[in-house]
Parts: sequence; C-alpha cells; structure tokens
Amino acid sequence: MKRKSIKLERTLPYIILTVIGVLFLLPLLWVLIASVDPNANSSIKVPTAFTVDNFKSVLTNPVNIRAFIIGLLLSLGQGLLVVLVAGLAAYPLSRYQMKYKKHFMFTILFMTSLPITAVMVPVYQLFIYMKLQDSLWGTMFFLTAAGLPYAIWMLKNFMDAVPLELEESAWIDGASVWQGLKRIVAPLMIPGICTVGIFTFSGSWGNFFVPYILIQSPEKLPASVTIYQFFGNFGMVEYGKLAAFSILYTFPAIVLYIFSQRFMSQGFSLGGASKG
Amino acid sequence: MRVKSYKKLAAISVITGSVLFSSACSDANSTSGSKKSGDSNTISITFRDGGGTNKGLTDWLNNDIIPEFKKEHPKANIKLSPISASEGDYFAKVALMLKSDQSAPDIVTEDTFMVNSDASAGYLEPLDDKLKGWDEWNQYIDNVKNGVKAQDGKTYGVPFNTDSRGLWYNKELFKKAGLPVPWEPKSWDDILTAARTIKKKDPGVIPLWMNSGKATGEGTSMQTFEMLLYGTKDPLYDEGKGKWIVNSQGLLDTYTFIDTIYKEKLGPNLSQVLNGQGGTIAYTQLMPKGKLAIGLDGIWQAGNYRKDGPAPWPDAFKTLGYTAMPTQNGEEPGQTSMSGGWAFSIPKKSDNKDLSWEFIKFISTKENNLKLLLKENNLSPREDVSKESEYLNLPMFKEATEFLEHTHFRPSVDKYPSVSTVIQSTVEDVVTGKSSPKQAVENYQKNVTRVVGKDKVIER
Amino acid sequence: MVSPSTSVGRTSSPHKSNHKKLVTSLLFLLPSWILLLIFFIGPILLTFYFAFTNLSLTGSEAQATQFVGFSNFVNMFQDPNFRISVIKTIVYLLFSAIVGQQILGFILALLMKEKNPAFRRVIGIIVIAGWVTPEIVVAFCWVAFLNDSGTLNMILQQIGLKPVAWLFTFPMTSVIIANIWHGTAFSMLVFQAALDDVPKSIEEAAVVDGASRFQVLYKIVLPMIKGSVVTNMILVTLQTLGVFTLIYAMTGGGPGTSTQTLPIFMYNQAFVNYQLGYGTAISLILLLIGVLVSLLYLKSMKVKV
Repeated sequence: MKRKSIKLERTLPYIILTVIGVLFLLPLLWVLIASVDPNANSSIKVPTAFTVDNFKSVLTNPVNIRAFIIGLLLSLGQGLLVVLVAGLAAYPLSRYQMKYKKHFMFTILFMTSLPITAVMVPVYQLFIYMKLQDSLWGTMFFLTAAGLPYAIWMLKNFMDAVPLELEESAWIDGASVWQGLKRIVAPLMIPGICTVGIFTFSGSWGNFFVPYILIQSPEKLPASVTIYQFFGNFGMVEYGKLAAFSILYTFPAIVLYIFSQRFMSQGFSLGGASKG
Repeated sequence: MRVKSYKKLAAISVITGSVLFSSACSDANSTSGSKKSGDSNTISITFRDGGGTNKGLTDWLNNDIIPEFKKEHPKANIKLSPISASEGDYFAKVALMLKSDQSAPDIVTEDTFMVNSDASAGYLEPLDDKLKGWDEWNQYIDNVKNGVKAQDGKTYGVPFNTDSRGLWYNKELFKKAGLPVPWEPKSWDDILTAARTIKKKDPGVIPLWMNSGKATGEGTSMQTFEMLLYGTKDPLYDEGKGKWIVNSQGLLDTYTFIDTIYKEKLGPNLSQVLNGQGGTIAYTQLMPKGKLAIGLDGIWQAGNYRKDGPAPWPDAFKTLGYTAMPTQNGEEPGQTSMSGGWAFSIPKKSDNKDLSWEFIKFISTKENNLKLLLKENNLSPREDVSKESEYLNLPMFKEATEFLEHTHFRPSVDKYPSVSTVIQSTVEDVVTGKSSPKQAVENYQKNVTRVVGKDKVIER
Repeated sequence: MVSPSTSVGRTSSPHKSNHKKLVTSLLFLLPSWILLLIFFIGPILLTFYFAFTNLSLTGSEAQATQFVGFSNFVNMFQDPNFRISVIKTIVYLLFSAIVGQQILGFILALLMKEKNPAFRRVIGIIVIAGWVTPEIVVAFCWVAFLNDSGTLNMILQQIGLKPVAWLFTFPMTSVIIANIWHGTAFSMLVFQAALDDVPKSIEEAAVVDGASRFQVLYKIVLPMIKGSVVTNMILVTLQTLGVFTLIYAMTGGGPGTSTQTLPIFMYNQAFVNYQLGYGTAISLILLLIGVLVSLLYLKSMKVKV
C-alpha cells in the first residue's frame, strides 16, 4: 500500500506535467501543421499532402520581405540602443555614490510600471509637434525610451554584481573608465545584456500598436502591422498562408531565444529587484 | 569561457551594428521614395484596399487610369498608398495621416460622411475655386454635390460614386420555402414573416443578414440601423432645428427589430456577423452557396459576381432579386433607402495640389468614371454617365436607381462620424444581448449627448 | 552631485578628481535622460494636459481644441461603459495575471524540480514556445484554436460533445486563457530560478525532522522565495494591465463590451470614436492604476537601491 502511494507520488507530477504540456502544445501544433498543408483550415488535421507553397508565397512577396526587414531593423535597432544607453546609465548608478541616486532609481523603477498603451495618444500628438510622424527613427527612439527604465534597473543590478577589483586592476594598467567598462565590465555582464536585449527585442517585435499609430505610409510598416492586416483581410480564408506567415514571423524571436538561452536563467532570479 | 563570451558580444555588436547601418540606408531610401522629396511631379493617393468590393477601384487606378494619365503627363509619378484596414479603422487611419505634414497624401478617397468632419478639422482643401473653372461639375447630381459640402458651405471633394440600399434575396430559396417571387415586402413585419418561414422550412439557411457589429463600422450604421430608422417617422437628425434626436419611438422600434432578428435566431451566428470580414463572407460565399436567403445591403454587392470579381457567378441575377426596403408599417411612400458614396479630396497638407487637381479632373471625366462604375457596380454621381447604355445594362441598376427616388442622405454635420460609432456599439450590445432595446436607447441618448453636447439634442 | 566613493578612494583610479567623476556621470547618464525626458516624461505630462481638453481626431474640435476642465472625467464616471471596463480590467488582471500565470507558473516550476532532465527540457520548451511567440501570433493561434470549426471544437465533437462558439460564448475566459498561455513561461522561469536558490540542506533537514512535503513547501520554501513571488506578481500584473494587442486581435473588445478592458476602451474612444481628449482621460486612469500597483510593489519590497 505504502509502496503504491510512493510510486504514485513519483509518477503524478509526470502525468500532470504531460497533460499541461499537451494543452500548451495544441494551439501551436495547428500553426505548424497548417503551414505545410495545401488545404489548411482552422482545425488541426493530418495533411493529405505536403507543401512549401505557403512559405513560398509569403516569402516571394516583396511587400512581406520589406515588412520583415523593417521590423527587424526596428526591433534590433531598439534593442541595441536600449542596451547601449542603459548600460552607460547603469555605470555611474552602480559605481558612484550620488546625492540623488536613490530618487533617480525609484523614478526609474516607477516608470517601469507604466503601461505604454496608455500614452499613445500623447505620443502621437508629440510626434506631430516634433515632425516625427511616420518616421521609423522616431518610432525607434520612442520604443527605446519605453524600454529604458526596465533596462537601466536590470543592468544596474547586474553591474553591482561585477566586482570592482577587476576594474581597478585595469585602471592601474592605465585604462580609462570607458576602456574599463568596455573591456572588463561589459564582457562579464553578457548574461544581463542578453536578458535585457531579448526582453526588449521580443517586446517590440510583437508590438503592433505603437507602429500602427505612429507609422502611416504602407511602405514603412513593420511585419507586426502587416501580419495584423493580413489577418484582418484574409485571415478567415487563407489559413495556410497565415500559419506560414506566423511561423516566419516567430522565427527571429526563437533564434534569439536559443542564441542566448544559456544566460537566461541568471536573468530570471529577479535578484536585482528583491535583494537590492 | 570569458574570452568566448567576449567574442560573442563582439559578434552581436557587429551584426546589430551592420543591421543598424543598413537600416539607416533603407530609411533614407523610403524617404526619398515618398512624396516629401519636393518632387513636383509626384502625387500619392490613399484609398482603402480591402479586397472584396474595393478590388474595382484598385484595378481601375492601375490599369485604366495611371497609364493613360502618364500619356498626358509623361513626367508624372503616381504613387498608390493603399491602406489595408477594416472600414472603421480606415477613417481613423486617414485622420491620423491627414493631421501631419509627414504623412498626408496628395489625394485621399473619403466616404462622403467623413468629408464634412475632416473638412471641419481643417484637414481638407476647399475646391470651390478650382470647381469654378471646371465645366463638368454641372454634370454632377445635386444631392451628391451636397454630400461633399461641409458646414461652411464650401465643397471639399469630387464624388466618384453614389449608391442605394435594398434587400437582396435568393429567389430559389424563396420558392423552396413557398414564399412569393418576386418578393415585395410592404412592412417590417413582412420581412420578419419571410425570415421566419425560411427558418422553419430550411433550417440550414441563414434567413437574414444585416451588418450588426462594430467591426463592420459604417456598414452597420448605414446598411442596417439607418435603413430601419429612416423607415420610421423619426430620422436621426432634425435638420430644421439642427439637433440630434436622441430619444424617439423610431429609435426604440429600430433596436427592437434588430433584437427580434437575433433573439429568434433569424440572423447569422455572432461569430460570423461580428467579424470585420462578415459582409464579404456573406456575399462572396454564403449567398452563392445558397446558404443565405435575404441580405440588407448596397447595390455594389452585385459587383462580387462579375467575371473578374472576387466571386464570379454567371447565373447570379437569375437567382438573386433586389427589392426595396419597406417603411416600418408601409407608411408613405412605402419604401426607403440610404445613399452615400465616396469622393476624392485633396488634403490641406498636400504639397502638390495643382497636379492632384489635374489628376482628379482626369479621373472624373465621363469616360473614366464610367469605366470605374462598370468595375465597381455602383451608381454614378454624373448624370451623363447614368444615361450610357453600358451602364444602364448593369445588373440591378434599374432597381437601384428607382430606390434613389425615396432615398435619404446622412446628416451633413461634422459630428456624424462619432454618432455613427455610438450607433455601432449600441447595435452590437443589442445583438449580443448585453442590452435590451430600451437600454440601448438610453445608452444611445447618453453617449450621443456626450459627443455632440447637451444643447444639440432633442427628444421626441 | 557626486561624492567620493569609498572603494575608489583607496586605489589609483583614472579619476583624479570628483570633478572628473561628475563629468563622467553626466556624460554616461545624458543619453538616457534625453530619451526619457522627450519620449517618456513628455508624453506623460501631455497626458495630464490632453485629459482636460476636447482634443479630437476629426471634426471642428480637431482644429479648435479647448480646455474643458473636468468634463471628460465627469462623463467618464457617468459612462456605464467605463464602469464595465474597470470591472473587466480587474477580472482580467485577477484571473490572467494572479491566478493564472502566477499559480500555473509556480506549479510548473515546482513539479519540474529534480525531474528527469530530458523530460524537464521538453516541457520547458513547449511552455516557453508560448512565451517566445509574438503577441499577435498568439492571438491568431488562439482564434484558430477556438474557432467554430477549430481544433478545440473538433476534439469536443470527437468525444461526442457539441461545438461551442468560444470567442462569443466565453470571450473573457478565452482571452484570459490565451494570455496565460503566452505569459506563464515568464513566471515559471522566475520561480525555477528562485527554487534553485533554496538550499537543499534546509529542506532535507525539515524532512528529517518529520515535516510533510506540504509543510516543507508552505513553511520553509515559500517564505524563502517570498521576494520573488511578490516581485513576479507585480511585474506580471503590470504587464497584463497593458495588454492591448492580444485582446484587440482576438475579440476587438467584444462581443459588445465583454472583453473591453481599459486599454481597449481607451483605444476605442480615442481612435474609433475620434475623441482623443476623452481617450486620454481614460489613459490617465490607466496610468494611475499602474502607479498604485507599483507603489504597492515598492512598499512590499522595501527595495534597496
């Protein structure tokens, strides 16, 4: 009797996890299968034939390619800017003692929490005043600013964990602050940089609202908006193409995730926020 | 390990850096390609590109218009900037574009109900001076001309089509259910009776389709709500007093009719009808397959079944009938309809107004307008085009033109677009059972009052 | 602004003077300040301004915008749709963020602890796939999955049940589940990291002392990871508060007002009803909720900086 319950205790988590896993997999499975099914519809089924036509037709459309490239540039550009600007800001916040540092950090933490969705109307108006409407650069700067508070907060905490001694020895060898940051601190912070970079990238890669409001010319729209429009116009008819489009669109996010996956768990200990 | 990571970081920086650089280039390219290049020969046109019924306009611009225009203006460069959006989103997107120097096109197609509003916002260029020197303007029907006049009395657009609305019905399904063909309903009750009969005799068929959600935008306001409301004694707006009627028996009866359709399941499933593509699916799929008996909609739906239309159907007009929408209880004149239409306008922030005007004149000639309407299956705003035999032979043209005799136009007030969105959300609330017809009237009153101001409303 | 840092004092650092340090700090902070000031603080200040105007996207007010005092707020509190949206937002936050992602994420992390690494990896990848998927694609997956003739209904029919129009019969549940699917991985990863930090020796000692598994979890593990739990809860709540794309693409806030959370309500008033001023007033409320939640965050965390 007792042995049985121990056995159950061992297997039950596996059973529960398997069930959850299957439930999580189902909605995704449809996209995978429908994308290679020449006669895809909205429900999952074993395809009668295999085709890459869906992918072909999405990829041979120059409009889609352009949208993909713009989306990539927007998100990568933003990711890079965020890491660069936030990394710079994190340095004095981590290394120096400043009078108003505490206030500044609290403000930063505070900004992290504000929902970006809420400020789109004022941002749109601001863009009109500044003549940044319909500008990809303007959109990138806005997305960068929106990602900054979180990034500064995280990178400051990551930087706190890098021992000062290493930097000091570089200074003795004659390195400047900038060189120390570049040669010693940055390489040691790769996990943090990757975590922040990926957060930022996937946040804006999936964001269709910001470019939808700020970009008007059809030829400047990133993939997030075109995929929404595709869905709106043909979603109910062309399931296979939609699925292929979705997979292609998810691809960069997956690649980036795998690329830096090994650093992610360190980024997740939230140590920064809870331990200070 | 450390060295490895460092290399990786270097790799990331190089990749992102080079990508960013190419970003700079591509951004520069797309800017130089846009109209803000200071090139006086380039004009951009913004229109709605939603497949379906908008296919005609796109084809016409690409195949009939631009190559011909270029023969006359060899240096001209016409840039199409279609917006892929649902009808509701299109107008918001256009307003967003017109507001800024960076994104305003040189020509924009506007539903005439937006012309007044966008003109009052200062987004559009008055055309009166230009129209004075254009003798073809005399050919335009007066009612249609009124539709592009704003409250300041100036004209802000050149209409390229107009329309009327009525009831599409499938004669075969009617015969099968034992209903009279041709069908001439005399009151709302006749419509309900027919729908109930269909439901009883042929349960696999959707008895009645009318746009009923927010996603179908103005289609819900005009094709459904106003087609009903203007068949009662109470219109939307009291033109004499200049006030919105926010509480009337007509409003209550309109919501009640809509409520009845969905309560008795005489309409489509909510998942079909509350969809932005609902209307397209109804007329390109359900109607040809004999899955839909009656549809309350515009004449342009006939264009779906053309050889080069989105759902070719050679025998369409042997099967389909088009009949007038009756007034509520058959009150004089017995039938009602709504008319609108679309126009070309020049944005105030366009930087190439002269060439834009040349282009509008060119595309609005008798010959070119006819070409468009043959593709669109819509009514012409020009009297001379309306006399062409090619045009007269369009399917259902005769019926649609007859509806014009007792048709109504939407209130020519800049607040109409906002009132219209109130209509759409209150209708959707009724359809989904969120509010009763009475509550819908209350919500309508509250929201319209908020939008137009307390001094601009009356009750009846 | 800058005072000598104790640790730097004892070495020969490249800054010989405080003045130099001040310059370095300012140079390093400047880019972020400029960006935040223009693109973050600026819009928030403008929110306060526009919320008190009748700014409009079209119509005569678009040209002659006026200050209208509190009338947007008076209208808002009288608008039954506003009340509905607040309730919908709370329901969405409660079930999607707190009950759903938080608890499911914790259960996953807990169950996966010390399991067969290959198994752990497979389940992990599946769950994370939902998180990596962009929001808009998540919306499509779920629209297709819940469609009248979608996968879920097909399965139901296989086992002899009637199909349901999920997005119309249970719209709120649908968007909540989709968001849980999308967000749970984040909580799972946070809890995995937190649980890994719990020293095994403490747990083992408790078991030796005769504590049951549940007691160990409740009395030892949970208090130790309390920090991560609270932080995660607030982060997830704030993320969920701002969700727009997912709901907009799945239901557009409908049918009727069934899934009209505050961000959707704001969008509808501002960009569908063309009332930018009124929409901004709603934004302000949304911002205030964010502020409240983050105050709660700061207070409960006793954050040290």
